[in-house]
Amino acid sequence: MSATLYDAPLANDFGRVAAFFRRDLLVAWSYRVAFFADALNLVAQVVVFSFVARMVNPATLPQFGGRPTDYMAFVTVGIALTAFLQLGLGRMSSAIRGEQLIGTLESLLVSPIRPAVLLFGCVAYDLVYIPIRTAIFLVSIAAVFGFGLHASGAGEAAVIVLLFMPLVWGLGIASAAGVLTFRRGSGLVGPVAFGLTLLSGAYFPLSLLPGWLRAIARVNPIAIALDGAREALLGGAGWKELAPRFGILAVASVLAVVGGTIAFNLALRRERRLGTIGLY
Amino acid sequence: MLGPNGAGKTTLLRILCGLIDPTVGNVATAGLPPTEARGTIGFVPPGERTFYMRLRALENLEFFGRLYGMRRDEARARALTLMERVELADALERRVGTYSQGMLKRLAVARAMLTNPSILLVDEATHDLDPAGARRIRELARQAADEGAAVLWATQRIEEIRGFADAVTVLASGRVRFQGTVADLLLHSSSSRYLVELTDGNRSVRSITSALTKAVRGLGSIVPVDSSGRRNYILSLTEGIPLGKALASIMAARFQIIACREERSEIEEAFLSLTGKDPR
Repeated sequence: MSATLYDAPLANDFGRVAAFFRRDLLVAWSYRVAFFADALNLVAQVVVFSFVARMVNPATLPQFGGRPTDYMAFVTVGIALTAFLQLGLGRMSSAIRGEQLIGTLESLLVSPIRPAVLLFGCVAYDLVYIPIRTAIFLVSIAAVFGFGLHASGAGEAAVIVLLFMPLVWGLGIASAAGVLTFRRGSGLVGPVAFGLTLLSGAYFPLSLLPGWLRAIARVNPIAIALDGAREALLGGAGWKELAPRFGILAVASVLAVVGGTIAFNLALRRERRLGTIGLY
Repeated sequence: MLGPNGAGKTTLLRILCGLIDPTVGNVATAGLPPTEARGTIGFVPPGERTFYMRLRALENLEFFGRLYGMRRDEARARALTLMERVELADALERRVGTYSQGMLKRLAVARAMLTNPSILLVDEATHDLDPAGARRIRELARQAADEGAAVLWATQRIEEIRGFADAVTVLASGRVRFQGTVADLLLHSSSSRYLVELTDGNRSVRSITSALTKAVRGLGSIVPVDSSGRRNYILSLTEGIPLGKALASIMAARFQIIACREERSEIEEAFLSLTGKDPR
């Protein structure tokens, strides 16, 4: 037996995640048309909202950094972050569902990898691809539509994204647990993503919501992340002003990852007990 | 490991590689709990959908090799060696989705051998393969055994264990019904039906049947295989009657026996007597 196997599990985990990344990059590259379809979809959204923007009076929009903004700038940041949410949530559950359907889940679980590595590995590619996609999207739209992004807020916005990613990942792991247990549990992802997006202020100001919904939206971590990103990118807010939001997002992310991981481990244990891992 | 459908062969293999928890009792694989022994086990699962069809064969093997903790160059070198061994070297750059069932099964054997495992679990590997393909898979398993691996081969194709298995366990309804060598298994055979081919000396069908019935009276019964009734007969012996005595009696009635063979194989007879199930 090879001497390099099964020793130094932590060191090997990095290699395993890298292997997942390469696998998904190769699979994604084998579907080149999907790359272009994704870009076209983003462009289509922007075109639609550019017309909507003409109808929206900027006076109805919140101010960032004490300065008014226009709807195109407002909604672009919203689209960027909610796309992040939808992709993150959807891809985590669809990754597990995909492994079930193509029959590779058992092959993965027979190998000596820990569930956390499997979960991280399944989204490693997306965790790199989606931020790059988001950044390119934001910069391109800002250039085309001529609204100013505060370069000084880029670092703060990046931290928000970094804190936002584990939150999305944690929610995705929970949805993957649902898929493992209910097979078609990915159907739960749509309503959850819709609810979080609706109460996030991605497409319209939260002030338009009824009072009781506004109260719920105020504690929605997605809304907090979005507001923080807008403050940074559109208002040029600094570290000090955004610090409370960083704290809330960090706590929410830890809770989401811990809760999601517990849910996934319980789901996996249940499948092992019932002997139904390979079923779809 | 031989057993009819539903005997528990696949369940046992899945328990041994940690995919299912046993409902009662404990399992040790190579002295370890199955989930801790996964690195020492190679598993050839049933079915052909256990690979990433969009990836090339070499990419698939590299990916799984890295899950077992190999470095990329090490995984690649091992994969190339194994592709050669399973005679897929010419197809290593082909996408797995273009592989035939026989090629997929050989690739699955290569994957299971990636870590040079001390235990090789093979589940219904020759199901759906043509005779040549099935024989090649058995040769590969034999080769692994010759190199020191303990090979546990689960099958319901009873004929394939002859000349192949060193020891046989017959399972039925989750219980061990037999454990021993193939020769020991044959002792459970109580063959009593034979296909007899004979010449009739141009007698009429009715007189042939009548003469044969008279010849074996008290020894058993004999009936024509088909309506022509001229050459082929099924001879069923009464318990305890030697075959030679019945054949001698037929020859004494002025028939020439051209051939005589068991209607079922000895292994099949033993299988049926142990499990009470007809695999056909």
